Amino acid sequence: MSPNIKVFKSILVLVLFLTFQYTMAQSDPSGEKRVTGTIAIKNATITTAPGKTIQNGTILIKNGLIEAVGTNVIIPKEAQVILGDSLFIYPGFIDGASTAGVSKPAEPEKPSDFNPANPPDDIAGITPWRNVIDNYDNKNNQIYDWRKSGFTIAQLIPEGGMIPGKTAIVVFGNPSSANILAQNSALVVKFQGARGGGRVYPGTPLGIMAKFRDVYKNAELASRHSKLFASNAGLNRPEINKTYEAMYPVVDKNIPVIFEANDDIEIRRALSLQKENGFRLILSGVSNVEKVTSEIKAANAQVLLSLKLPDDKVTKAKMEELSEEMKARTKRIQDAYASILKQASILEAAGIPFGFTSMGAKSGDTFKNLRLMVENGLTENTALAALTINNANILGIQKFAGTLEKGKSANMVILTGPLLDGETQVKHVVADGFMFDYEIKTKKNGTDEKNGNNGSVPLDGFWDYTSDTPAGSSSGTMEIKKEGDSYKGTITYDNPGGGGKASSEMKNISLSGSALSFSFDVDAGGMSLVVNVSGEVSGDQISGNLSLSEYGSFPMNATKKPKLF
Amino acid sequence: MKKIIYIIAAVMVMGWNPANSQTQKGSVLIKNATVLTVTKGILEDTDVLVENGIIKKIGKGLTASNVTTIDAKGKYLMPGIIDAHSHVALDAVNEGTAPITSEVRMADVIDPYDIGLYRALAGGVTVSHAMHGSANAIGGQNITLKHRYGSGIPDDLIMKDAARTIKFALGENPTRVHGRGNGIQPKSRMGVEAVIRNGFNEAIQYKKSWETYDNSLKVKGATPVPPKYSERLQTLAEILDGKIIIHCHSYRADEIYMLIIVCREFGITKIVFSHVNEGFKVAPELAAYTMGASVFADWWAYKFEVYYSTAYNAAILTQNGVITSINSDSGELIRHLYHEAGKAQRYGELTDEQTLALITINPAKQLGIADKVGSIEEGKQADLVIFDEHPLSVYAIPQMTFVDGVKYFDINEDPNDMRLRVAATEAIEPIFLKEHNHKCMHGVDFLFSNFGRSLFDHEH
Amino acid sequence: MEDQNILKMKKINQIIFTVALLVLPLLAKAQFDGEFIKPRNGRFLLQNATIVTVTKGKIENGSVLISNGKIEAVGKNIPAGDAEVIDCTGNYIYPGMFDSGSRLGLVEVNSVQETQDYVEIGLVTPNMQAIVAVNPNSIAIPVTRVSGVTTTLATPSGGLFPGTAALINLNGYTADQMYAGFKGVVLNFPSSARRSTWDRRSDEDIKKEAEKAEKALNEIWDRAVTFHQLKQADAILDYYPEMEQLAKVVAGELPLLVEVNAASDILLALEWIQAKKVKAILTGVAEGWRVADKIAASKIPVITGPILSIPTRNSDRFDASYTNPGKMAKAGVKVVIRSNDAENTRNLPFNAGFAAAYGMGKEEALKAVTINAAEVFGVADRMGSIEQGKDATLFVSTGDPFETKTQIRHVFIDGYRVPMSNRHIKLYQEFLERSPGLKEN
Repeated sequence: MSPNIKVFKSILVLVLFLTFQYTMAQSDPSGEKRVTGTIAIKNATITTAPGKTIQNGTILIKNGLIEAVGTNVIIPKEAQVILGDSLFIYPGFIDGASTAGVSKPAEPEKPSDFNPANPPDDIAGITPWRNVIDNYDNKNNQIYDWRKSGFTIAQLIPEGGMIPGKTAIVVFGNPSSANILAQNSALVVKFQGARGGGRVYPGTPLGIMAKFRDVYKNAELASRHSKLFASNAGLNRPEINKTYEAMYPVVDKNIPVIFEANDDIEIRRALSLQKENGFRLILSGVSNVEKVTSEIKAANAQVLLSLKLPDDKVTKAKMEELSEEMKARTKRIQDAYASILKQASILEAAGIPFGFTSMGAKSGDTFKNLRLMVENGLTENTALAALTINNANILGIQKFAGTLEKGKSANMVILTGPLLDGETQVKHVVADGFMFDYEIKTKKNGTDEKNGNNGSVPLDGFWDYTSDTPAGSSSGTMEIKKEGDSYKGTITYDNPGGGGKASSEMKNISLSGSALSFSFDVDAGGMSLVVNVSGEVSGDQISGNLSLSEYGSFPMNATKKPKLF
Repeated sequence: MKKIIYIIAAVMVMGWNPANSQTQKGSVLIKNATVLTVTKGILEDTDVLVENGIIKKIGKGLTASNVTTIDAKGKYLMPGIIDAHSHVALDAVNEGTAPITSEVRMADVIDPYDIGLYRALAGGVTVSHAMHGSANAIGGQNITLKHRYGSGIPDDLIMKDAARTIKFALGENPTRVHGRGNGIQPKSRMGVEAVIRNGFNEAIQYKKSWETYDNSLKVKGATPVPPKYSERLQTLAEILDGKIIIHCHSYRADEIYMLIIVCREFGITKIVFSHVNEGFKVAPELAAYTMGASVFADWWAYKFEVYYSTAYNAAILTQNGVITSINSDSGELIRHLYHEAGKAQRYGELTDEQTLALITINPAKQLGIADKVGSIEEGKQADLVIFDEHPLSVYAIPQMTFVDGVKYFDINEDPNDMRLRVAATEAIEPIFLKEHNHKCMHGVDFLFSNFGRSLFDHEH
Repeated sequence: MEDQNILKMKKINQIIFTVALLVLPLLAKAQFDGEFIKPRNGRFLLQNATIVTVTKGKIENGSVLISNGKIEAVGKNIPAGDAEVIDCTGNYIYPGMFDSGSRLGLVEVNSVQETQDYVEIGLVTPNMQAIVAVNPNSIAIPVTRVSGVTTTLATPSGGLFPGTAALINLNGYTADQMYAGFKGVVLNFPSSARRSTWDRRSDEDIKKEAEKAEKALNEIWDRAVTFHQLKQADAILDYYPEMEQLAKVVAGELPLLVEVNAASDILLALEWIQAKKVKAILTGVAEGWRVADKIAASKIPVITGPILSIPTRNSDRFDASYTNPGKMAKAGVKVVIRSNDAENTRNLPFNAGFAAAYGMGKEEALKAVTINAAEVFGVADRMGSIEQGKDATLFVSTGDPFETKTQIRHVFIDGYRVPMSNRHIKLYQEFLERSPGLKEN
């Protein structure tokens, strides 16, 4: 089944389901049910697609679909009318790849005869059978945040290892609905080794490349075997392997592969696997694209560019205070920073249609970062396309999403000003025909609370952490308890002596504002090493560094486990 | 240098066009040099004409139009230095998670941005053998690189006409990583032998199962079921077929002899021993049955299996007729391999010609590229270095380095900052006091001893 | 008569028999082949060499007379007398070379923890004495000294104050026989640098941690000053060996060997040294060239190396580490070169050779491994050059000892002629032509 047909079917189901609900749900004691599903926004500046703008237009939404858009729209009586004077309407943003509301699946248990050289697929991070929907919470706050930034549809990326699973496409509509537009729409692959601190196969890009080839080739062979078995007598039965089975839609070229590729080197690796095997390729989270534009084009690959931009550390450097030598070097860092801002415009200039992804980005930075990219050469039309129709095309949902046209799903973002105006705020978002309203701040005090908890950060609880070392990723847990004004805790980590986890007491736990630091001792072959950790706590996330005196310092990220009642 | 800047500029401005990304070939006329051909003696006051990347003519009074001419009077011209054991320009070195990983390819993890490439060029090294590490009894498929630094394209660095090679490793490293680290074989030198034998025997069965399948496909109406695919076993089968040269990390005489015997049993003749600190103890056997030994000039005692070794290793091996090369296995040593080779004159008094062969024609033989590089002969690829003094003098400084006739290093046009890219987010640049990215146990050591005690000096 | 003779013969036989019995154990011993050559003391005349005195120029066709461990005479036409004459025609005589930072003898096989004696547990351990842990019988010592490196600074490493380094000669069977008259306390100056690409700390964290480390250093130092002051005031103090040792540095009895490498750290270290008024020697100083003028102005000497090492920054020129000693010397810094190695301390002369080639010049590089070291360690009255009355620690070579082609013929340490043999050479002798050779099969 092609993904489009699948998507279409889901829509059909969705529409039927919604209709059914309307006829049956006679009463709503919560008082939250809307009065009407028909909304008209009058007299607005409507950009129906990149480059196509209607002045003083009206858009009519009915039962989740766009009923009409234009200057001569007749508004029915049951419509809730919104005066759109001074409002700007754009198609709802589509997030090419998102982890909003997606949680990590439970860690698989190691079997008793575990062999790190030949681990079970799930421990190796190879779980193509996983459907991201199984780990999706459509009521998660992140969805609220992204919708508030104009996003109405997202492709969900499963969490996990090198082949974490398959994506789904959801609409950020009324949370009482499942809001699923498509499932198993693409396979995700990352250059990420197996869990276990680089000791479990595959541990490095070397093993990952080889393992991908192995899985792909054997999936092809297994597919051939089962087809033979189905149509011939006298054959050995195929050994059912759920990894290979889950790869069939990829090897049969029915769904694309989304490769998370950070830089030109990883892009080239993904392209070479694509060249060897011929699957449809979407590159996600790219940078340094200027080095690989023609290769990307030659491969017909599609691109998802992150909305994340790094912090500017150097453009304001006091150059006059630097030596000639340091001036030259600082200039290079500035150029590198500028090149990151130019990634979108480079893709545009190369004629590579690309969409944006929220992966790694903060929702509150969306408009600011868009403006930065436009200041660095991206055209306004392409900026909008990358948020809307390009992603609709990449996701294969252009039939019902990506533009404001009669018959398409009612997904739109309604702004107080033009998309790229510095003062613009989001006033409403319509997703799946449902209207979401936002408070408009009256100038100044632009500091948006990024997460509900300012002031003291709750540190106590159970945390899972991972740390990327040159040897691969390692992981463990932290249990932190508050005792009076101070904290106590224990941390587990991969035992340097081999065989599972070891644990140590966390020392000198200090939390000032959101800055966390602590240390712990590790016994490595009779030698005691002090590991210092420092980082920032933000809600249920800690991001920081784990530093091992002269051996180096490595990024560490922790997530709080939800409390179990 | 101008070429490199041009390339960088081209990449930055227009993006790289793969249609143009065929490897650069240059033409140059080097005049009046003392030419150390390595294979055909020393030619005083001689000219070397390079056309389109190939040494066209060697002689006196050569002329050419439209070609850059370099006067090398009083200077020494030698073949580009070849490092038969390196980990420069690699993103990952060890897939140290399984005792046999013949399916992994170093070609997949080339890092064309590694500044180590430029530093190697500044030391006259034009070709390096980018190897898998030594964590596994049978490691990955290596890749031979030509140091065409500048384009940032991994493919441009690959020496496409080089022979295929693979890494093996014996002794302490594989037994430490797998036996003591992960509790699986091999934990001893007995286990290393057994793991290698198991691998070869499984490969024989694997090859047979595919041959059976392929043959039955030819039978009309047959519907054979395909066997499982394994690049791991496929690669081992190709070693048995003589298509791949083994480069084996080894130290002790007994383990070297062990692998010689195993290879002879399986009919494998293409094997080079690397490091091979105790090679001198089995020099007659190495001479008779192998493609030789690639050694360190003087490293010893950093681990137990190299405690009973000698800096006279290269000399003893050479005098016993073993094809011998001196390698770096280090991003530091690769910068002065000419000096490392020179130590074979301190320890064993080799002649200049014998000594220069250690870093030119001999490693070329071991990499299966001796018909293309490794000496200055007409028809060979123009990988060349100009030194101000005799390259075996401690005072010698490389002046210019050419790969395929293209100048990639010129000490007189050597800008300060030769990095091809910089990070946008770190204003504080890292400081390196030790070399620790480019070596055999890279990656593994750290993970091994984990929060480990690894970084005091060499681990190989 | 005949009987007499027979009797005589019998007697003789008996004597022979008896003697033979007595000698039997000796004969049994004679199953050992070869002869062990021991270091020999005595009077030696090294004749007809080019003498590179380092401090007093070159003497062609000169001789050096060694007696009782000292250089009794240097010059032309020195009569041999009862001295053993060693013909050095065509050869050169140099003073023994100093490696002013080495772990030689403090470690045998680095990967075998049991043989690592250069590092202790703890941050502040200045009382750890390297000299007591040097193994006089380390296999690496004879391997080193046949290169002409006769003297090393045995240096501990590890925490903030890892211990006390000691100058040793590479001959002798006890610590006292080897000790060459200098000790210094090592300080690893806190670094504000990013340590290799593995160091993923944010710029801000790096700064914070460096400030914290310097604060910790100052607190420890204040304690040492207090300890010293109270001691001066004859206070009775609790046993505190760490402060006892640091107090000697405060008092100026022992110099501080300040290990520091990044340019910004060097500047901080210079400030710190001046503020604390410590007698100090900078060691490492890999980025010294960036701040050479400032080091020169401080008049603090520098021990740098290894020279054969990668540039500290990826953005540096490929030869930054080679040119560093030359640039510092040109700026007026007193530069000494070290290998910072252990088993390959024998590579010290090649480190000096590279420094010479890349701007330092041969003469200055030679000083950096001889007289400059002796001066920095305060032993120049006895060592570091070939002068009458100095210790007979020198070597004879076929040429420039920095050149790999050069062979070292003889080495004298404190007047002892040391055997030109070691395990490396013995293995060469055994295996150059192995017997049995190849067994064809």
